[in-house]
Amino acid sequence: MDHLDRFLESVRKYLPWQGQDDIIAELRANLESQREDKEAELGRPLSAEETEAWLKQIGSPMQMAAHYQPQRYLIGPAFFPIYWFVLRLAMMWAAAVYTIVSVVQIAVGPSNWPAFLDAMLRLPGVLITTAGWVTVIFAGIEFATVRYPSLCRPITGPSGDWAAKTLPDFEKAMTPKKKRRTFAHAIAEVVFGTLFLAWWLLVPQHPYLLWGPGAAFLKSSPFQLTPVWTDFYWCVVVLNVVQLAWRIVDLVRRTWQGERRAEQFAVKIFGLIPLILLLSSNVWITLKDPAASQAQYGPTVQAINQITRMSLVIVSAIITLQLLWEIGQLSLAYYRKRAAAKS
Amino acid sequence: MTVAENLFENLRLELRRGCLTLAVLAQLRQEHYGYTLRKALAQQGLEIDESTLYPLLRRLETQGLLASEWREEDKRNKRFYRLSSDGEQIFAQLLQEWDEINASIRKILDNPVQ
Repeated sequence: MDHLDRFLESVRKYLPWQGQDDIIAELRANLESQREDKEAELGRPLSAEETEAWLKQIGSPMQMAAHYQPQRYLIGPAFFPIYWFVLRLAMMWAAAVYTIVSVVQIAVGPSNWPAFLDAMLRLPGVLITTAGWVTVIFAGIEFATVRYPSLCRPITGPSGDWAAKTLPDFEKAMTPKKKRRTFAHAIAEVVFGTLFLAWWLLVPQHPYLLWGPGAAFLKSSPFQLTPVWTDFYWCVVVLNVVQLAWRIVDLVRRTWQGERRAEQFAVKIFGLIPLILLLSSNVWITLKDPAASQAQYGPTVQAINQITRMSLVIVSAIITLQLLWEIGQLSLAYYRKRAAAKS
Repeated sequence: MTVAENLFENLRLELRRGCLTLAVLAQLRQEHYGYTLRKALAQQGLEIDESTLYPLLRRLETQGLLASEWREEDKRNKRFYRLSSDGEQIFAQLLQEWDEINASIRKILDNPVQ
């Protein structure tokens, strides 16, 4: 086996299976003609070293074979827009369906907070799997379209049929929709924030402020709230004090017109703490005198706790999803801002 | 290779890719097999690597722009290529596009920069 044979056999190893023999036969005919020309010029056969140098000049077998590969990418530019559109849609639906299923599972299951955390930690895996499947399907379509163009009708995607009048108004889209906060608005927020805090602080001494006529019933009823509600109460107090202080600082520094996304974002993140506290417990209502009233009210207590658990899980899931959505939006806005600044 | 050299090389390859297709189609108005085509192009001043030209021929054939047949010549089987009827039409369109681009660039260069 001479150098050329070795070279061709090496190329064959890296070629697509289909049409290997044909490609090698053609390559052999071309290279042998080239070698003959060289030998005719020299008036003698090429030496082993000269053949080696000549083949080296052509390039490595792997490089040569790589040029015969039909496709260099998974999803080409023609398909990419529709792929991107479907991918985002699929991810959104996967997140929504997964959340609903998880909430139902957690609500009917025995544990709360660990199960909720576990479900949330599994969410990225679900999204990656979804993205993987969407990518595989589109790569398959791309492959079929490129490989068998006569069999596949060209897919134009969402950009295939469009009219200029249906495109979004770019100027309008670039104009900020939100109105700026007025001074009166900022003052009202501080006033109502203070009033809410005062009302909330009075609730322990005057439960009717929260429960209304139900406070008297609660006092005389055989049920009582568990200590986890006290922790929840103080958590809400701290959060409101911080939010109020933030608004007062805004007012004093005359920065109430500024962007409040950071504040809203922080409130949502810290707003999860009271919910996490509640979810860390399994019991939210107990009997004041279990020995005396367990037989009569035990099932009621159990039912109330079950409903409370379900409600807490649903609320936590909604808030967490909102938060994830906002994190995504903020990251995207930041990335766009940076990209725009760079360009 | 510096960043500028790398950038130039990428742009050069991008520019060359389309031009090579046009040159190959132009040359294949007359029948050739791979090696003689390469020689003919080189004689006109357009050197193309083997690893670029031979796969390009097959790609153009898959796209229907070229027709090929195996035939014996000088006691050796060779695959001869020529423009297909679809290829002739597309080549004419590409050539017109090429002429227009060339004329436009020439015009831009001839105008003084404002």
